[in-house]
Amino acid sequence: MASVKISRLDKAYGKVKVLHQLDLEVDDGKFVVLLGPSGCGKSTLLRMVAGLESVTGGDILFDDKRVNDVHAKDRNIAMVFQNYALYAHMTVRKNMAFSMRLNKTDKKTMDEKVNWASSILGLDDLLDRLPKELSGGQRQRVAMGRAIVRDPDVFLFDEPLSNLDAKLRVQMRTEIKDLHQRLQTTTIYVTHDQIEAMTMADEVVVMRGGYIEQSGTPMDIYDNPNNLFVAQFIGSPTMNTLECQVAEHNGVKVAAIEDTMLPLPGDRNLQVGQKIFYGIRPEHFQITPQSVSAGSQPGVAGVVRVVEPTGPEIHVYLTLAGQDLCAITRDRLELRPGDNIQLQPDLAHVHLFDGESKNAI
Amino acid sequence: MRDQSKRSLLPRWLTSEHPLPWLFPVTSLLIVFGLYPVLYSLWLSFFKRNPATRKEKFMPSWNWEKLLADERVWDAVQITFTYTLLALSIQLILGLAIALLLDTDKRGFGVMRALMTLPLVVPPAVTGMMFLLMYDSSFGVISNSLYALNLLSPTAPILGTGSTALWGVIVADVWQWTPFMVLIMLAGLRALPREPFEAASIDGASSLQSFVFLTLPMMSKIIALAVLIRGIDLFRIFDYVKVMTDSGPGTATETLTAYAGTVYFKSANFSYASTVALATLILVLVTSSIFIKVFKVRF
Repeated sequence: MASVKISRLDKAYGKVKVLHQLDLEVDDGKFVVLLGPSGCGKSTLLRMVAGLESVTGGDILFDDKRVNDVHAKDRNIAMVFQNYALYAHMTVRKNMAFSMRLNKTDKKTMDEKVNWASSILGLDDLLDRLPKELSGGQRQRVAMGRAIVRDPDVFLFDEPLSNLDAKLRVQMRTEIKDLHQRLQTTTIYVTHDQIEAMTMADEVVVMRGGYIEQSGTPMDIYDNPNNLFVAQFIGSPTMNTLECQVAEHNGVKVAAIEDTMLPLPGDRNLQVGQKIFYGIRPEHFQITPQSVSAGSQPGVAGVVRVVEPTGPEIHVYLTLAGQDLCAITRDRLELRPGDNIQLQPDLAHVHLFDGESKNAI
Repeated sequence: MRDQSKRSLLPRWLTSEHPLPWLFPVTSLLIVFGLYPVLYSLWLSFFKRNPATRKEKFMPSWNWEKLLADERVWDAVQITFTYTLLALSIQLILGLAIALLLDTDKRGFGVMRALMTLPLVVPPAVTGMMFLLMYDSSFGVISNSLYALNLLSPTAPILGTGSTALWGVIVADVWQWTPFMVLIMLAGLRALPREPFEAASIDGASSLQSFVFLTLPMMSKIIALAVLIRGIDLFRIFDYVKVMTDSGPGTATETLTAYAGTVYFKSANFSYASTVALATLILVLVTSSIFIKVFKVRF
């Protein structure tokens, strides 16, 4: 096992720069997820760690040893590809044993390892099949088996679940996490799916346009996004971000959208007239139907557009001062499209972002 | 509406969904230029012909018995197989090697790939004559280079010496037809997925190991197909031999088709020539069928 350190890493294809001065540290045994929309450079970064892409500038270190010029075959890593990249002409057993065959492991160890991996991954009955005779999920497991038999220093996953159907994806997610907990191998995992990132990672690294926007534990990133992009990228349904302007009302600073006033947390340094984004997650609203709101704490009025019951909770999509937003409630409210409701934002969970820089205030 | 306008524009048989009208053109071509000549050859082979008197007598087994007892035929079979195997191996290895070198997206290689096809547009007879000049002992560039390197002596000209004449012809064939192999191999290589090779390099495979364990098995079907196509083509070698050595010296380069040609055009024994040609066809069919079976070639 090894720690991975990336310092001031650059990547350019010709004149096009795709990664800019990235710094990242992955401690030994940690599960780090690189998260970002497609084209953000996360796969490129992973492939550079793997040794499949050259380094334009900066360093990649495994256990403080520079590996920039070490060939992929000598880095002792294992990688699971998005489309599995199995050897089509080899059986499952041979696919998994390939790396050991190359370094001339003796037959007995080879069989033991393959059997160990296949029992972990539930591939025992499939060892003599060819990849084309397997389902997507089974192929995915073979690709993982091929990786774990190697005892690698670092595991690399490149969107391994994106070709699977929703149910299998959830199942494999748990399996990969379970595997990591058992093997404790340093892992770098690339995905564009924020739920995968949240559920699996020790640390999430959010990337955009070749830059790292923020990194931290999943909960830290969820609770304290650095900027508007991270706030909107993490969380499902995504965080509501209302465009407003700071105004003064009865001597108190409020966020105004036309005539609608949203209360602001008092501890921020805001100027009247400043343009801001008012960010609040759907679960941080208190919803009250208009009929019972009389007399209670005043909120903001909204009109229900769509109601989506998911079982444990109800997602309410509504319009507030001409802007769309979503609120989640666990109360069993009888709501219909067109209903007027009152919303009370939980001020402790309001995120404010500057209208210009889009950074958190 | 559209269907009706179509119908009014085209004759009925051109819009038919019945297979027969569509099979007719190619079937008639095959019958006239393929089936009829074969059957006619077969018919000819059943006659004993006297070239001097031009008399023919129906004796079904005469030519076939003569064929089996004809030592020149057995020599020709051996020479044909030698020629085919040698030329095929060289073209295959060279073709694959050149294709591997050209299999890249780097600048300039597209032009190289296009230039590779140039030898293919030269008529084989012209190629033979070019090599004839290059082999010439007094001014030929190949001969004189070999003399200068002491690899060959002017007393034993390449095409005039029994032991080297076949090689002389093979070199011309290799020059002309290796590009064809390169094209097929390149098409195969370019179509290979990239990921398994990346996975292999991460699994610890060197370039050579990737080639042996991935490229070759993944290319096996294409290689088998290329070997089949070129093999059949090589087996009926005629032009280079005719132009460059005319089966000589002696019969050192006399292949089956060359022998059939000699019997036909020089001895005017059409029946026996047809028999030799048919025997060649049978040999090709048997050999390639075995090859297709063993290597599971699929079209």
